[in-house]
Amino acid sequence: MAGSLLRALGSPRVLLALAMVLIIGVCAVFAHFLAPHDPAEQNLLSILTPPAWAPDGDPSFPLGTDSLGRDVLSRLIYGARTAMLVAVFASLGAMIIGTVLAHISGYFGGAVDWLIGRLVEVWMSFPPVILSLILMVGLGVGLDRVILAIVLVDWTRFCRVLRSEVLIVRRHDYVAAARLLGFSHWQTIVREVLPATLPLLITLFSLEMAIAVVVEAILSFVGLGVGPNQAAWGQMIADARQYVYQSPWNLLLPIFAIFFAVAAFNLLGDGLRRTLDVRLAETGH
Amino acid sequence: MLAIVAKLVARRLLAAIPILLVVSALLFCVLRLLPVDPAAMSLPTTATIAEIEAKRREMGLDRPLPEQYVIWLSDALHGNFGRSIQFGREAGSLVAATLPATIQLAGAAMVLAAIFGLGGGLLLFHLRGTWFEAVADFVSILLLSIPEFLWGLILLFVFGVALQVLPFTGAVSPNLPQPHVTGFLLIDALLVGRLDVFASACRHLILPALALGLAFSPAIMRVLRSSLFDVYHEDYIQQARLRGLPERQILLGHALKNAALPTLTLAGVQFGILFSGTLLVEVIYSYPGMGNLMVDAVRNADLPLIQAIGLTYCVAVLLINTVVDSLYVVLNPKLRVG
Repeated sequence: MAGSLLRALGSPRVLLALAMVLIIGVCAVFAHFLAPHDPAEQNLLSILTPPAWAPDGDPSFPLGTDSLGRDVLSRLIYGARTAMLVAVFASLGAMIIGTVLAHISGYFGGAVDWLIGRLVEVWMSFPPVILSLILMVGLGVGLDRVILAIVLVDWTRFCRVLRSEVLIVRRHDYVAAARLLGFSHWQTIVREVLPATLPLLITLFSLEMAIAVVVEAILSFVGLGVGPNQAAWGQMIADARQYVYQSPWNLLLPIFAIFFAVAAFNLLGDGLRRTLDVRLAETGH
Repeated sequence: MLAIVAKLVARRLLAAIPILLVVSALLFCVLRLLPVDPAAMSLPTTATIAEIEAKRREMGLDRPLPEQYVIWLSDALHGNFGRSIQFGREAGSLVAATLPATIQLAGAAMVLAAIFGLGGGLLLFHLRGTWFEAVADFVSILLLSIPEFLWGLILLFVFGVALQVLPFTGAVSPNLPQPHVTGFLLIDALLVGRLDVFASACRHLILPALALGLAFSPAIMRVLRSSLFDVYHEDYIQQARLRGLPERQILLGHALKNAALPTLTLAGVQFGILFSGTLLVEVIYSYPGMGNLMVDAVRNADLPLIQAIGLTYCVAVLLINTVVDSLYVVLNPKLRVG
């Protein structure tokens, strides 16, 4: 496993993706040092200024300001923090729930498997966007609520794919051997089955981060996301839409930021899928 | 074969009943967790506590949750989803008024996604073994990273704002009448013989449908390509080649037909998601469909409306899946027996 992860580092696609993730990650972690302004600081005297290189640009606002005179660069950087927080924690949560249920379902089979299978089926009949919107109505806005909503919607992605992988792994001789050696079911799952599903798990995790970034942007765009006090790319787009004629930059920059983040995680997922030799039917997510 | 398809559709619809029951129960519970009081919301702000209490009793809000659900469900089965709080109209009739626009948009988008997916998949496959293959593959991953709402904004910016060649708000120019016969604007315009309305509606449909089509085609593209790869390992391709058939005929006549099946499975899933993807595209283009209504309802915590629309989306997804499954049976001879 460690060896194949190292091999993955040799793939140019994975390296490029990691570099892109690193850029976003550095923005997210060091937003405080990198952002030239407070992202909420309003300068009502300089609203909708173009980027610094444009004729009317102001060098103290490198990428210009929005309709409230807030620094666009700072908001993009803090938006990266919001996006990364959501991506990491929502994907972790969805992964944990989905993985636990998938292993229980695939390993034990029978009635538990049936029940979890039906649960996934019901969940999947809800379009993800609709379900997350409805959940946000119930949960209210906020960063933690967005994370919770994504976890509650997307655990099925892990569960469905991993379950079929567990079904395959379970039939291997070494799993039966572990049982014969006196491993408990729990030990067998953790020490024998889980490591075998790990490459798939890592790949799915990367793809889920891409999805989480999109969902957060969508929710923030509709106004049901992290709330007005936090900079978020979706929110920047919603604001900029109303001033698209005066300041196209305000619209294009957050669009590019979302694309950059989603592409980074998709490339990483695709690169890992190839190098870790994961049998992942292309879902196109 | 018709009998088999009918049997499958019947079985799928039967299986959908328990799913819809659970979904509706979930929907009901989630929305009852809301810290808003539907009784107080449907009364003017001057209402007294006693009036609100009376309203609560009238709406059945004082009864236990399971009982409330049963009442709501039996009403819903009779087509009564309750009155929308913000519009004061039947939630069911609001859905019925906006659903045709959404179906029209989703339909146009599915056609575009299928065309792009098919074309792109064949192109990707055609490029195999050339130096361009890696580039095309890389580009297809990048394309996969542009969700429908980003496409919506990009197209709006390029064709609506920068080039100013296509309209990007509403379903038809505001100075034109909107004929109402079936609810499907394109059909209605033709029915009343208004070609100008038809043309305007078409122009308004281009950008939103294109946004959805572009967002959902890369996945179809990639699956078609990998299915074609799999098919090309089969013996019959080799034999067709030995028989001296031109490569073009092998690809389009033999391989494509067999690669279509796995592609169709994915396309079905994609179309289910595409239908809900209309929501954001409608918001971006102020398109008067169910998605816009949903966002309105969600922002105003309009519970009856949210429940009605939420259920409609679920039914739509289940229906799309059923249709795709039947198509699968029609196209796959192996499944036709028994």
